Amino acid sequence: MEEIRFHGRGGQGTVVASIILAKAFFKAGYYVQTFPVFGVERRGAPVEAYLRLDHQKIRVRSNIYTPDHVLVQDTKLLATVDVTRGLKPGGWILLNAAALPDAEAFPGFRVAAVDAARIAVAHRLGTRTHPMINTAMVGAFARILEAPPMAALEEAIRQEVPVKQEENVAAAKDAYMEVRVPGQENRQGKTYEG
Amino acid sequence: MRISRSNVSTEINKTGSWRFVRPGYDEKTAPCSNACPVGQDIARIEMLMGQGMFPAAWETILRENPFPAVCGRVCFHPCERVCNRGEMDSAVGIHHLERFVGDLAIERAYALPHPFYGDEAETDRRATGGKTVAIGGAGPAGLAAAYFLARLGHTCDIYEADSEPGGVLRWGIPWYRLPEDVLKAEISRIVDMGVKIYCQKPITRDFMARAREQYDAVFLGCGYGRSLPLWIPGEEKVLNGLAYLHDIRGGDNTCTGGRAAVIGGGNTAIDVARSLTRLGVEPILVYRRRRQDMPAFDHEVEMALAEGVQLMPLVAPVRIDGGDGGMVLTLQRMRTTRMETAGGRCRVEPDGDRTETLMVDQVYSAIGAEPGENWLFPPEHQPGQLRMSHCILWEHPDARLPVVFGGDLTTPVKSVTDAVASGKQAAMALDTRFRHGGKAIPERLGACRVGDGTALSMEIYLSGRRKTRNPAIVPFSALNTDYFAPAERQAPPVLSPETRCGSFEEVEGAYGRDAAVQEASRCFNCGICNDCDNCRLFCPEVAIYIDGTRCINLDYCKGCGICVVECPRNAMTLEEEAS
Amino acid sequence: MKEVVEGSHAVSEAVRLARVQVMSAYPITPQTHIVEALSEYCADGRMAARFICVESEHSAMAAVIGAASGGVRTFTATSSHGLALMHELLHWASAARLPIVMAEVNRALGPGWNIWMDQTDSLAQRDTGWIQLYCEDGQEVLDTTLLAFRLAESASLPVMVVLDAFFLSHTYEPVDIPDQASVDRFLPAFQPRIQLDTQDPFALSQMAPPGCYMEMRHDIEAGMRRIPEHYTAAEEAFASVFGRRYGMLEAYRCEDADIILAMAGTAVSTSRQVVDDLRERGEKVGVLKLRMFRPFPAALLASLAGDARKIAVLDRNFCFGVGGIFAQEIRAALYLMDSRPPVYSYIAGLGGRDVTPETIEEIYVRTKQSERPAPESVWIGLDPAACPVCRTD
Repeated sequence: MEEIRFHGRGGQGTVVASIILAKAFFKAGYYVQTFPVFGVERRGAPVEAYLRLDHQKIRVRSNIYTPDHVLVQDTKLLATVDVTRGLKPGGWILLNAAALPDAEAFPGFRVAAVDAARIAVAHRLGTRTHPMINTAMVGAFARILEAPPMAALEEAIRQEVPVKQEENVAAAKDAYMEVRVPGQENRQGKTYEG
Repeated sequence: MRISRSNVSTEINKTGSWRFVRPGYDEKTAPCSNACPVGQDIARIEMLMGQGMFPAAWETILRENPFPAVCGRVCFHPCERVCNRGEMDSAVGIHHLERFVGDLAIERAYALPHPFYGDEAETDRRATGGKTVAIGGAGPAGLAAAYFLARLGHTCDIYEADSEPGGVLRWGIPWYRLPEDVLKAEISRIVDMGVKIYCQKPITRDFMARAREQYDAVFLGCGYGRSLPLWIPGEEKVLNGLAYLHDIRGGDNTCTGGRAAVIGGGNTAIDVARSLTRLGVEPILVYRRRRQDMPAFDHEVEMALAEGVQLMPLVAPVRIDGGDGGMVLTLQRMRTTRMETAGGRCRVEPDGDRTETLMVDQVYSAIGAEPGENWLFPPEHQPGQLRMSHCILWEHPDARLPVVFGGDLTTPVKSVTDAVASGKQAAMALDTRFRHGGKAIPERLGACRVGDGTALSMEIYLSGRRKTRNPAIVPFSALNTDYFAPAERQAPPVLSPETRCGSFEEVEGAYGRDAAVQEASRCFNCGICNDCDNCRLFCPEVAIYIDGTRCINLDYCKGCGICVVECPRNAMTLEEEAS
Repeated sequence: MKEVVEGSHAVSEAVRLARVQVMSAYPITPQTHIVEALSEYCADGRMAARFICVESEHSAMAAVIGAASGGVRTFTATSSHGLALMHELLHWASAARLPIVMAEVNRALGPGWNIWMDQTDSLAQRDTGWIQLYCEDGQEVLDTTLLAFRLAESASLPVMVVLDAFFLSHTYEPVDIPDQASVDRFLPAFQPRIQLDTQDPFALSQMAPPGCYMEMRHDIEAGMRRIPEHYTAAEEAFASVFGRRYGMLEAYRCEDADIILAMAGTAVSTSRQVVDDLRERGEKVGVLKLRMFRPFPAALLASLAGDARKIAVLDRNFCFGVGGIFAQEIRAALYLMDSRPPVYSYIAGLGGRDVTPETIEEIYVRTKQSERPAPESVWIGLDPAACPVCRTD
């Protein structure tokens, strides 16, 4: 079983990101379970969502304490939230950021970054001040995890996003291409399989 | 499966047997109607107005008063002083509404309702056997007497001393309060009913002596046309206020500018002062009591002060000196005493020998009036008289026919609406005398009283629907005010004091249609049913049903009284069952 | 077809498929998603139903009582304070024998204000004459809602379908949503036993004087006593169409268990995992899933758990002055049985506090190590440092 934790802010589509990813994994043959950590429902407040993946029925229904990977929709959260809390060594941290952080910033983990805000604005998703970056984030995440396949993700996005489905799919694809990992500074121009 | 379910109608349970008090529809008298000298059915009028049923509202007024457009303007509206709505926010603008519908009727040429009182048989019965009545004076009393007598099937001839009919309405009230065309329209309605008006033909003693040859009765409503004298030295220099108003309305302007003293505190004094301002004179009101003691309507006093009229209270004129170059009015300072008059005004007495003087160009007197000729006074201590609230019927020994004294001659309050009331009372008294003899008058007229006051209802006299109205007056405490939300009184447009001073244009405007409906809707309709249906909807026994009108099924009414409590307007009463 | 849906929408889908005719509800977290979806179904024509908007839960229940008296299939949903506000009308519904189905999302009662998982709200309604069924995952929520209509209509008693706040109501997981034809086969159109008719009027729910009130109460109890029979028949029918069945209680790996963990809701699901893990380590442990709480299946409980050496009950609820409510019920049910294992009462997971595999394992270990149950419920995971600002002593 793999466990993923999503960090974001109220209004950033963090819960929707977890649902899109869950549906995409389900289409790819996984058993999934996703749920938000519900607190005070308020725009801008830090929110979390959880996603469990397995090849059999998931029976544990408690919160996730030791995630395999985390997805961070807003790097400003790093100042107040320990996104590595319980994160298993070697787990991925995907950041919505224009550049990768210093190599020593997250020792023991794998870090990836995608400029989801720029991608979202380029596809006119949300506004310049509040870009809707969640579909770009899941696109990037699909690339670093090498799952789910882009076709499943596309289908999930079309199903779950109420407006601008094609722009969201395009944002996910761009992010899939543009996500950066250490040692692979620029993956632009490469094709993705799926 | 056991559930509590019943297929039997609750009709088997005749809850009526539980009852020891019985509710009933019991329309009562609104305080406004009680206070109205002519007893207009104001609660119903406003109900109809609130529903936009203007012709029906107008007809309801016409049953009791031939002059809605006139009285809407000049009546001092005692109705509004006692309006129950005043206890919640502010009184309903009854006179504005009356004027609105009166004007509308003139504009749209509403026809008089026929049959007048909703009873065709009564109208038919009255088509024959009518009498002929001579009426002295075409003022509000005489015109009203003619209107009601004509309505009752009699023929009337009015003899008027002046050149045009209207009396005080035509000659005593300035245009800015009562435009001439409004008066003419309401008088012409009476003429159209077949009443003949002979102008410049005063009733004389000779006429009285020969009246019997032509007439079955005479009504004398000649009014108080002559100002009372001041009885002070220099009196000959004083101008007569009433005569002055008469001249203005006749088209003559005798004033020459400058300053004028107007002596008096009544409505005539105010009318004179306000007319003077419109003609470029600076008037000073000289009054022996305080402002709050002035018999003039407070509203009129306020308007006068706003227009620049000055008031000198607590001074009484003692002499007038000088001539054309200016007059010196010597005034005695007055002071209040602890005593009050019967009318609640303070008594005053000379404040030692303190005097002051006032330099003016003219002096007008308006301290009261009396009839033009002494024989017009109703007789005192003569046999064969029936003294009623607003008129006196005298079986005239010389003329050998019934003579009724009305209008200012006999009314308790010298007002236009009281004059109309006297005309109506005279018409009812004479009609009763013609048909049932003079002895029947007290009882028959007594049965037509509205509420507990002196006003009589012609609708009741003719056995109209209002006959069933309980004379009990609805107090504010009897209303269920939970059903009434506070609402501001609608104010009609009023000319600014600056505009007013320049002309005799009418000062107060009229409501628009929407304002009229809104204002009429503020009326609680005290004591009368407006079909709100609360009684039926709230009845826990479903014992109230509609079969043409609302009925109470006494087999089921258990006397809980909810209908009576939920009636917002006290149109129902709970009575103990007779054992 | 299997789809990833939220637990709340598993309820909504079942209500849609059940062809409910009248619904009424007032929104309250965490129930809102259920009726939000249903009101959309009504608005866009996917359901031929009336959704009556009301100003409170009390009115919502009153509205469905009225509709059910008119002989139509009805549904409502609520949670926590909303259910508390409905309390009076719950009695009206059951004593009028109306087959109303309600989804109730378990949420804590305030103050302190708390929107999270806690079973006290539904358990506090245990004496209202409603059947109560507790669910552990999304599939069970959908299936139980469908089953509830058939059960309610065959027994003429209302049914409450209970699901955990957030851990179930807001959790997305794969759920098999059946097609309409299959549901229609399982759940034919409602044939009302009570139907108001303006052409042939009668009165319902009126006065029952002392001379008949007891008989009427006894009759409701007789109806409750027949629920196992109706339930089993409904489940048979359900299984024949959909191939799934749940039972009134479910014993998971209890056959030779020394210690049986008993509980309701999503904690059952987590406990299955814990039991498997403990079994691998040689522990003889099982889970007893409490699915039907009213009527309480006492005899079945005794037959499934009577042979254990100990029963440990996890209550995500509390009755002040007594203890865990499920534990009380289980003790009472075993009292007249020949074999009565001692019942250990544990309180955990109140007000949204997580029940993790570790929590469950701690309960197991404590039970195993204790000679006999403590006289009072044992609270698991109390943090003495929590909420220092709230202390007034």
